[in-house]
Amino acid sequence: MNESVLFLTTFFLYIISTFFYFAFILAKKDNLARIGFKFALAGLFTHTMALFLRTFESGHAPFTNMYESLSFLAWGSILAYILIERKYNSRNAGPYFMLIVIALMALASSPLMPKEAMPLIPALQSYWLWLHVSVTLIGEAFFAVAFIISIMYLVADTRERQGKIEKLGLSSDKLDFISYKCIAVGFPLFTLGGLIFGMIWAYKAWGRYWSWDPKETWSLITWFVFAIYLHTRIVMGWKGRRSAFIAIIGFLAALFTYFGVNYLLAGLHSYT
Amino acid sequence: MKSVIRSFSSVKLAIVLLIIITIASVLGTFIPQQRSPAEYVSRYGQMANILIKLEFTTLYRSHWFISLLILFGINIIVCTLTRLSQKVKRTFSPQLKKKEKEILVLKTKEKIRKKCDPTKIKDVLKKEFSSKHYHLREEEKENRTYILARKKILGLFGADIVHFGILIILSGGIVSGLGGFRKNLSFSEGEISAFPKANFKLRLDKFETEYYPNGSVRDWKSTLTIIENEKPKITKIIEVNKPLSYKGFVFYQSSCGWDWKNSILEILVKKRSDPAFSKEIRTKLGEKVSLEEENIQISVLHFIPDFVVNEKNEIFSRSLQPNNPAIFLEGWHENEKIFSGWIFARFPDFSRIHSEKETDLHFELKDFKANQFSVIQAAKDPGVNIIWLGSVIVIIGLFLAFYWPTREIRMILEESNGETEIIAGGIAAKNPEALQSDFKEVMSSIRRTN
Ligand code: HEM
Repeated sequence: MNESVLFLTTFFLYIISTFFYFAFILAKKDNLARIGFKFALAGLFTHTMALFLRTFESGHAPFTNMYESLSFLAWGSILAYILIERKYNSRNAGPYFMLIVIALMALASSPLMPKEAMPLIPALQSYWLWLHVSVTLIGEAFFAVAFIISIMYLVADTRERQGKIEKLGLSSDKLDFISYKCIAVGFPLFTLGGLIFGMIWAYKAWGRYWSWDPKETWSLITWFVFAIYLHTRIVMGWKGRRSAFIAIIGFLAALFTYFGVNYLLAGLHSYT
Repeated sequence: MKSVIRSFSSVKLAIVLLIIITIASVLGTFIPQQRSPAEYVSRYGQMANILIKLEFTTLYRSHWFISLLILFGINIIVCTLTRLSQKVKRTFSPQLKKKEKEILVLKTKEKIRKKCDPTKIKDVLKKEFSSKHYHLREEEKENRTYILARKKILGLFGADIVHFGILIILSGGIVSGLGGFRKNLSFSEGEISAFPKANFKLRLDKFETEYYPNGSVRDWKSTLTIIENEKPKITKIIEVNKPLSYKGFVFYQSSCGWDWKNSILEILVKKRSDPAFSKEIRTKLGEKVSLEEENIQISVLHFIPDFVVNEKNEIFSRSLQPNNPAIFLEGWHENEKIFSGWIFARFPDFSRIHSEKETDLHFELKDFKANQFSVIQAAKDPGVNIIWLGSVIVIIGLFLAFYWPTREIRMILEESNGETEIIAGGIAAKNPEALQSDFKEVMSSIRRTN
């Protein structure tokens, strides 16, 4: 078994899982969602092996270029989703969530992303690379789940207002609650990984913990957006649509931190 | 004064400030920061002056941005303090005497009667609550017993601890901004450098660059010695990510460079008419070398380590790495320049001499050597430890706020005619499911009592 075979197997398993989840939405049979879940779980397993193998072969953390970090983000997202589905029975989110994962995997496997493991430039040779990137990406994976759930909330809420009752599963109230829970898990992780570990590593490598480099600034912006989410919700009692919009903006900010900054704004943080 | 305090204690102000700070931060990532005025003029034309005046070009250290951060800090202080005293009071000397109504409005509640003694029920409750790690308080008044059982009370203070940590981080930032010092030092091996604000010197003993097999840089290693009162104190090898700390200063391996101005060049001279002829000369920039047989003097005027030509046909060095080294050579015969041109180390055949008079000579840049120097950043940042302290506090606070959900169960036991009436209710804003299951178990243990 080599890494790219495992990666493709994983991709394939995720695609099958997505099919089952969509079949479940269309045919409204719970069994299909359970099969979809199992395929996602199998994918998570092969994906984990692929990441291990990558680490083993390259001798460094499996997120030092765009291909690796996309793959790791997909892994984190599946993990976050599986945990949330187990806890809150949020099967309906499955198909939409799997689409994001598929998109990440497709991007990672596109020919635009160089696959070969490159030797690490000096600044990346640190165990803080592990801590900083992995914790941040897992935090962001929870924001991704909150994003999907918030969009579903907006759809469900609109339907409920039109008097339609959702037959399958989740009421809009429950979606609102799950979205908050995802952010409650993601926010501390993101704070720890993205901001605090980031500061520590920056201090070790560049001698300053904060330099307003675009990537740092965008992490802070993302963090501010979720802080706004928490305060409007906890203190001012906002819920529902307004909360969902803020959660969506927050994830888009995280996405921009991740992609946009690398391609649109230059700074210390870009790979290569 | 009161109204100032009131407006600073408002969360609405916090949200407005957060939104403004967020938008300003976004702007700062799209307007390149700290460039030259000329660059702004070429980018923004007329607008450039306004942007510079409004400090949008040094946004994160502008007066207005720092003021926003300070306002935000004051907002956190006032907001947290005004709520805190109330909260502390409610938590540590809670009112146990609640009215029946107040308990029965809770979402999780029950009212039952039981044919047994209240002391018996109390015993059961004590056992049940302590096995669930609840902290129990009770008060008796007019044949009623009021009970308050709580768990993970610290969770209530998570948010306040986070806010406190953020304040610490903000003040660490202020200390860094005011007392921080940073300087890049370039060293050649053997060189000693002094720098401001320190009573010791730094010597570079040895400098090495390690490469990967593919030629890219793997690491830089500098052996540094601290010299204090003319005596060596400490010697340490530093690398990227492995700095040396001494007396509040930290020395980082930043990068490396070559002292190209003093490179030693080896030039191979050949003759087109005589393939057997070959002569090696060693020279430096600006030095004149005579080729006696020809009665010609040559000298190298420029050395460029990474030769490129831009659209305007200007020649410059793309980097300080020797990726495409080239020299510019001139040849003189008595007082007359007879040829000049660029010679490339990588492309010996491309070397073309523009000669005013045809020359028979052909030059190749065979080798070039320059001393490598190490670039070391010396930094003193008195705010750093404050930042780490604030970070730890923030993390503890976040953990308490999100993963340490407070649970609270209140009860009133009242005896009448040999029966006990139990009114119970519970609340846990952050973890209602766990509360409900605790509540059910407690109630069923009461039911089992006889
Ligand atoms: C970026 C800065 C801030 C961060 C990261 C932050 C963080 C938090 C967190 C994590 C919580 C707990 C949320 C929850 O329990 O779900 C919270 C609650 C709260 N925050 Fe902030 N906060 C910030 C700024 C502020 C400011 C400026 C104010 C003052 C106006 C404020 C007022 C409050 C209040 C009143 C609560 C609720 C307190 C409670 O439930 O006991 N926060 N904050």
